[in-house]
This record gives sequence, structure tokens and C-alpha cells, in this order.
Amino acid sequence: MNNTKYSFSLSSLIIITAGFVLFWEWLRPLEQITDTGSMHVFIIYTAFCFAISFFFKNGWLKFIFKGIGLILVIDYLFLTGFLFSGEWIAQLSMELQYNLQIIQQANWTEMSPLFRSFLFFILLWLMSYLLHYWFLIANKFFLFVVLTIFYLAILDTFTVYVATTAIVRTVLIAFIALGLSRYMQLQHLGVPIERNKQNFFKWMVPVSLMVLVVVGVGLFAPKLNPQWPDPVPFLQSTAGHVGFGEGTSFQRVGYGENDSKLGGSFIKDDTPVFEAYAKERLYWRIESKDVYTGKGWERSTELDYDPIRASRIEFETFSFTEVETTQSEASLRYAPESNLSKVPIPYGSSFIVTPTGVNLFQDMESGMMEVEAGEQNLISQSFNILYEDPSFNIDQLNQVSGSDPDYIRNQYLQLPETLPQRVHDLAAEIVKEEQTRYEKAKAIEGYFGSNGYTYQTEDVSVPEQGEDYVDQFLFETMVGYCDNFSTSMVVMLRSLDIPARWVKGFTGGNLQPDQENLPDGYNLYEITNNNAHSWVEVYFPEVGWVPFEPTSGFTNPTEFYQETSGEALTPEVPEEAVEEELAEDPAQQETENVETAQEENSETSTGNDQENNNGLIWLIGFAILIAAAFILIFWKRKEIRDWYDKRKWGNIAKRMELDKSYLYVLDVLARRGFHRNKGQTLRQYARLIDEKMGINEMMELTLIYEQYLYRGSDEKVDKDKLRRLVQKIMDQIFA
Amino acid sequence: MTKYHIQVNEILDNIQKVIIGKEREATLSLVALLADGHVLLEDVPGVGKTMLVRALAKSLNCDFKRIQFTPDLLPSDVTGVSIYNPKDMVFEFREGPIFGDIVLADEINRTSPKTQSALLEAMEEMNVTVDGVTKSLNKPFFVMATQNPVDYEGTYPLPEAQLDRFIMKLSMGYPNETDELEMLNRTDRKHPIDQIYPVIDKNQLLEMQAVIEDVYIDQSVKQLIVQIASGTRKNNYVQLGVSPRGSIALMRAAKAYAFIHNRDYVIPDDVLFLAPFVLTHRIILRPEARYDGMTQEKLLAEIVEKVDIPVRKELHG
Repeated sequence: MNNTKYSFSLSSLIIITAGFVLFWEWLRPLEQITDTGSMHVFIIYTAFCFAISFFFKNGWLKFIFKGIGLILVIDYLFLTGFLFSGEWIAQLSMELQYNLQIIQQANWTEMSPLFRSFLFFILLWLMSYLLHYWFLIANKFFLFVVLTIFYLAILDTFTVYVATTAIVRTVLIAFIALGLSRYMQLQHLGVPIERNKQNFFKWMVPVSLMVLVVVGVGLFAPKLNPQWPDPVPFLQSTAGHVGFGEGTSFQRVGYGENDSKLGGSFIKDDTPVFEAYAKERLYWRIESKDVYTGKGWERSTELDYDPIRASRIEFETFSFTEVETTQSEASLRYAPESNLSKVPIPYGSSFIVTPTGVNLFQDMESGMMEVEAGEQNLISQSFNILYEDPSFNIDQLNQVSGSDPDYIRNQYLQLPETLPQRVHDLAAEIVKEEQTRYEKAKAIEGYFGSNGYTYQTEDVSVPEQGEDYVDQFLFETMVGYCDNFSTSMVVMLRSLDIPARWVKGFTGGNLQPDQENLPDGYNLYEITNNNAHSWVEVYFPEVGWVPFEPTSGFTNPTEFYQETSGEALTPEVPEEAVEEELAEDPAQQETENVETAQEENSETSTGNDQENNNGLIWLIGFAILIAAAFILIFWKRKEIRDWYDKRKWGNIAKRMELDKSYLYVLDVLARRGFHRNKGQTLRQYARLIDEKMGINEMMELTLIYEQYLYRGSDEKVDKDKLRRLVQKIMDQIFA
Repeated sequence: MTKYHIQVNEILDNIQKVIIGKEREATLSLVALLADGHVLLEDVPGVGKTMLVRALAKSLNCDFKRIQFTPDLLPSDVTGVSIYNPKDMVFEFREGPIFGDIVLADEINRTSPKTQSALLEAMEEMNVTVDGVTKSLNKPFFVMATQNPVDYEGTYPLPEAQLDRFIMKLSMGYPNETDELEMLNRTDRKHPIDQIYPVIDKNQLLEMQAVIEDVYIDQSVKQLIVQIASGTRKNNYVQLGVSPRGSIALMRAAKAYAFIHNRDYVIPDDVLFLAPFVLTHRIILRPEARYDGMTQEKLLAEIVEKVDIPVRKELHG
């Protein structure tokens, strides 16, 4: 049956090399999306396995060589003793014992690097075997090409890996190899092409030229933008942030609930979250958090939702009686691709009108408002919000005299014991000349902008074990984004005995110009994931919580005014700009404002679920799963084939058409190794089959079919007889 | 159909009584006869060629004539000659042996080409012209020519163009030992040729030939014939491939073969089985083929091995 044994030749060498290069594309991303080091060793071992598979025909020899290679590689990477010395064996056996225990306990993440690498090498070994079989024995190159392209596409979509050049390389190599593979196939099929150098070049030169031209055109042709919205946010929300793509230090920007581990760079994501109709650019508040852990933020109490009744928002951040407000209206509408289930609201929100069928719940502690809709489409309707836009009187804030209530002090002065002393010292240093709480808050808020702290979303570090997030930002890295700035401010305020909390939400978004049918004075803003943001609220007795914006380049849209000057400062000319920053670096402030209007205010408080080693484990697990699936399919191919054939027979038996049934029988027989040779007539074939299976139904069936085929008349066929014959043959085949 | 089938089997049984163990050759001879063609038997003397033809003739109740070709035989010895009848004062045509129903042309390659062509032209045209008078041959008319293998001394090989006129070329070969012993047993007392009786007569034979014309041959099977014929023309070893006449011959033979097997339609098996007998003598190989050990039989076997057998009905319209 297996008459397609390959022989060593230039073509098969090229095929296997191309296969290796394609497989290399599978390994390349690992460096980026996992913490795999020593990638070159993995690649060399893979190449070694491919070469062994290619040059040796004896299965045992292959096994021995690959095994020796594996031991050498493990030795090179991990073991310190001399090969096969007592120490070496001791080390290895310790590793094995340890890992076997770990496996028994199903404690996958604890496996040692040696063992993980060992498993991965085994996987590479298996893959070399499988691919060798595919490429040279089965001559099926195409399937692997398709898988490679899928793999790259998935990585490109879901991870930081950029497969732009990889896909070009893949297409280039794959198509040339496919051309060659076809050339080899034709010879197996008996097409009389003589296999010599001349023909080889006659075939390969046009193929290569064509592929080169096509790839060239593809490279230089204009390309469409992505046609689908980025599926990552959707998947992340449904999968609860379990993604093997979330590697060591990258996240996508967007609102997420888990802030227990802050830090790390993030990638921009301009997927729209909601649209807002408002008179001005507002900060959309979602929730606050109170417990700083040294790494991030958590809640001291579980969320406890109360239903919103009669559209009335009970939750207040400041006292409506103490603070001067202007009544305003805004509305928001979720973007179709959004998966936000929280309702962001402006400061001072008092009423919210939802579409019918939508229920809202709010946690009175953090202010988090959850939306629950019976039907998904209800959410795409507008939520109208009535809010009391606050203007804080600076004099009043300066003069507040009362002391903080106990429950505020208990909850919002918390600091981890591990917080380094120098943070306390720095805070004290910044405010040493300030008297009032407001002045202190302003001093800290403005400290970052004038002391070389840089706003940056890339290359932002994550605190190491034992390091404090705020400490690292303040004294070591000095670069970061909103989480760094806002957390640092809260922590410093708390160290000064000022109650403060960390707030999350969205900034005002991008103005969508030229919108028709808008009420006077209203604008349409689009808020995307890039607008996710965090800032600070400081408690003032009697007044309540007052928002502050420490992040460089951002302006606080909340109004502050001084009665002495008698005029309210508009958000466009923010108060702190007048007081401090404008004087220092007006140009920078200007540009930052411009950038804010565009997309530079992309901010994050992402769900950072990353655990450093998880990437590789996920990937290895995934790869092993796939390899296992392949092996299972390969193993069970006969059962699968039988199942498929029987199923098909079920369909055919219903109609019992002579030609379909007969051709089906031929197919089924061919798939079981009974190929009808060229030049073999149906009778000869039938005789052979009958002989082999010890029946005579095949001949009987063939005679009927022969009449149908060669007699030229359309006689009715006795379907029952036909069914009986085919059934008998089938029974014999599947027996 | 069944009626004919019984008769055909009886004829074959008759021949079996006389020629033991040569069922295939007997069948093929009958095929050639039914297909209205002629057979060239190439073999050494004494293997039963004559008996085969006589048994056939007797079973069909046909007139049997025999021409022994010798180097000095003249065309008129074959066709006949006009002789002056002094009594009636006219030239009278005396029919030659060619005016038989079944003619055995023995050792045809021992006579001069001139005499050979007299026979072959008659076979092709179904009439002879002597002294300006055209006379039709009998119907049915079946020639079985025998020749010694060509490398015997004192022979005139038949020209290629003439070989083409035989629908098939057969060779008997020696019988195996059991068959030969059985043959001795049978001929011990009385020759079996005297014990067989006619199964059908000439008219029934003609009727059969007419029925065979109506045997259906599907387009796909015709394509198979064309495939084989053109295969012989494309081969590198071949100097001259099978002519269209060869394709027609194969088709006619296949129809007769199907008829003998009680079918009113031709199947690829018929074509593939007959192809070597019908086609080999129509192929002329290049001289270099001999060095590579290639013969017409091998070449044809190779071609037949690679043809596409039609297994799906092509739907037209």
C-alpha cells in the first residue's frame, strides 16, 4: 500500500528544509510571548531532529540519536556535573523525583525549568517525527502550511508578537515548497516526467519566480485596514482574563477590575467603549479602591450592590449642600463592540434614566454601578444622566476645620507596613511649606510634573518581589502612566495622614466633530479603551471627596474657584496650570493639552493577571494538547475512517443509487488499501476483492454496475438486491 | 441472445473435441469469423492448425477449401482461371479455391508476394477480377492463413500493409503433456473430426453476424480503444503504430467477443483481452527496440496496464 517511499534527493532535502524553516516560525514567537531563554538551543535541537529523521531510515537508530541529542542538550542547559558522572546522575535523578511528585500533585506551575524544557524537547522530537512523516512519506505539505498561517494569525491577534515578516517568510517558503511537493507528487502519480536536473529546474524556476512576484506584489500593494474589530477585549471579558498571550510585562489598555498587580507596559487599544453626549469633556467615574498592597489596589470590603430605585443615585462623593453645583445633563451609549458592564458616571450624578428593562445596581462603598439587561440590545440605547457639576471653592477647601470622621480615617489611611520610609520622607519634604490639606494635596499633585517624572506607557516596569510599586516609581524608574502617578499621590497623602483613595474610570474621550442633530451646546465624545484612566480623590471634612489629577499631561476637568478672584476657572484653563505649571513650562503644557485631545491620554487600569511563568506553561500545555490530539488522530485514524465511512453509507443507503453506491464501495475499499490499479477493469478488481474477502457479492454488484455503465440503456435496478449486496460487502469490510 | 449462446457453446465444444486444450485459440478464431475478419496463424507445422479450421468449418456446415502455398503457386491457382470450352466455344471460368466459405491458406509466406497479394486483395475486396470479369466471393468468407515463423528459410514475409488485413494474429503453441496424451487417446481409433456434426448452417452464421453488428459499444469503451491505439503511436519504440483500421478491427472483434459471452454490450474487459491479438501484428517497432528486449506483446501489455478504465458514467446533455 505504501508505495510512496521517498528517496534521498535534492527535492526531498529542500522539502524537509522548508518544513524546518516553517516550524522555526512556530518557535520564533516563544521568545517574545514566553520567558523562554536559550531559544537557539531549542532551534538547534529541532534542526538536529529533522536531520536525523531525514538521513536515517532505521527507526531505532533515529530514536537513539535523538535521545542522545536530548541528553546532551539538557546537560548543556541545566546540569553542572560531567556527563554521566556521579554528580550528574544525582542531579538528574533529583530533578526527576521532584518533578514526578509535582506531577502527582498536579501542581503544574511548580515544575522545574529543567523538566519543563525536557517536556518541550520531547514535543520538538515528536513534531520532527510527525512533520517528517507528513512531508516526505505522506507528501502532505499543505496542511502544515495552513496550520502555520493559522498559528501566526492567532499569535498576531492575541499576543504582542508581530507576525508581519513571519507571514511573508512563511508564504514565500511555503509556496515554493508546495510547488516542489507537487512536482514530487506528480512522479508518484506516474506522470511521465523524468526526474532529472533539467526537469527539476524547468519546474522550479517558474514556480519560484511566480511566488517571488506574487509576494513582491503583496508587499508593495496597498493594504486594507483591519476589517474586524479587535477580538481581544471581548475574549478577555468572556474568558475572565485568562489568556496565554498575557506575557510577562504587557497588557492591553482598558478598564479591568483586577488591580492587584499594577505595572508593566501596555498596548494601545482604540476599541470604542461608549459614546457620550455632554457639554464638556468629563471624567467618567466607575469606582474607587481603598487598600494599597504595595503592588496594587484591592477592596477592603466585598462589593455589595443595591438596586437603583426610581432612577435616583444615592451614592455621593461630595456634599451637595456644601459644594456649589450647576445642574447638567449627559447621556452615554455603549458601543456595539463594548463589553463594559459598569456604568461610568460623571461627578455629582443624581439621577440616571435607563431604557426599560435595564436594571442598575450600585455599590455604595466604591460607587461601582453594574448594569443588568434582560436583552443585550437594550444596552445599546442611551442612558440619560442628570448630574450636579461641582465647582469647589478653594477658600472653603483651605478653611475646612472639622476633623475626619472615624470611619473615613479607619478606611482611607491604610498603608502597607512594608512601605519604605523614604516615601514618607519624600511626602513630608514636598509639603513642608504647606499649611492646609488643600495646599498639601495640590503640592503633591503638582510635584510630579515639575520633578522629571515622565509619562510613558512603554517600558514601564513591574515591581519585583519585595519592591514597592510606589517606591519604585518615585525613586527608581520615574516613568509611568496614570496608575503610577495616582497611586503615588494617594500613598503620599495617606503617609501625611490625609485620607485619600484611588479612583478608576474614563477620561472625556475624543470629540467627534461635525455631528448633526445635537442639542445646543452638546458635543459627542467617543470613549475608547485608550481612555481608561485612574486618578485621586482626597477627603475634605464637610465637603467630601475632591478629585485630583496628578498624572503629567492630564488636566483635571473639575472646576475650582477662589472667591477672592471672584471668577470660576473653566476647565479649559485649569487652575493648577495657572498656579504652577503654566509658569514653568507653558509650551509643554500646551502640547500636552493637544495630545490629550487626541489620544495621548490613553490610560490604563488594566486587569493585570500576569504571572511571569504562566506564558510558557500555557503554551507548552497548549502545544502538548495539540500534539496529543494529532497523535490521537493518527493513532485512531482507522477508527475515524471507519466511523466516517459508515456514516456516509447511512446517507447513501437511504437513496440507494447504483452509481453512488458503487463508487462509494470503490472509495471505501481504496481507503483500506485495496486500490484499483490503472488498467484494471472492474471485473478484474471485483474478482480480486472477492478473493481477498472470501465473498462473491462484489462481482455480483460489479456485473450490475457494468451493465449500467456500458450497456447504454437505463434499466431499473432492484434496489433491495443492491442494498443487500452493498451491505454484505460493507459488513465484510468493517468486520 | 440465449439461443445464440447455446449454439456458440456447441460450436466451441465441437472444436474442443478435435483440438484439445486450445480453448482460447478456438474462441478467438470464432470471434474473428463472427466479426467477418480473417485470422493469421503463426506457428510451426503440426500443432493442429488445419484441424482447427476444419472443425470450425464442419460445425458451421460451411464449404471448406484449402490452398497449400508453394513457391511456384500462381495467382490464378488461387483465384481461378478461364478455360476455353471447345464444346461451347466459350471461355469458362473455373473457380479457384478462394471461392470457398472457409479457406485455409497454408504456409502463406512460402509463396511469392504476387500470389500472396492475390489472396489478400480478394480478402479485402470480397471479389476477384479475372479476365475483366468480377466475381463475388462467398458469404460468409473466412480465411485462416498460416505461416511459419519468419526466420525459417525460404519464406517471403508478408508486407506490413497486408498483415493489417487480418483481424487478428494467433499462435497455437504446443499442447501441454496431459492434453497431448488425451489427444493420442482420442485419435487412437477414429479421428474425432469425423465424429462432429454441424451445429448451425451458413444462414444462421450470417444471422449471427448481423446480430453482432447491433451489439452496443458505449462511447466510453470506444474511447478506451482509441486510447490504446494512440498509445501505440506515441511510444518511443514504435516506428509505425496501430492504424485506424486496427481500431475498427478491435471494435468489431470486441463486439463479437461480447456476443460469444452472451452480452449485447461491450465491456472494457473484452477490449483489453483482445487488444494483444488484434493489435500486435499491426505495430512495427524501431530496430533499437530489439536491443532493449522490447517486443510488440510487451509494449502492448505496458500500454494496456496504464489505460484509464471508465468507471463513471459520463452524462451527456
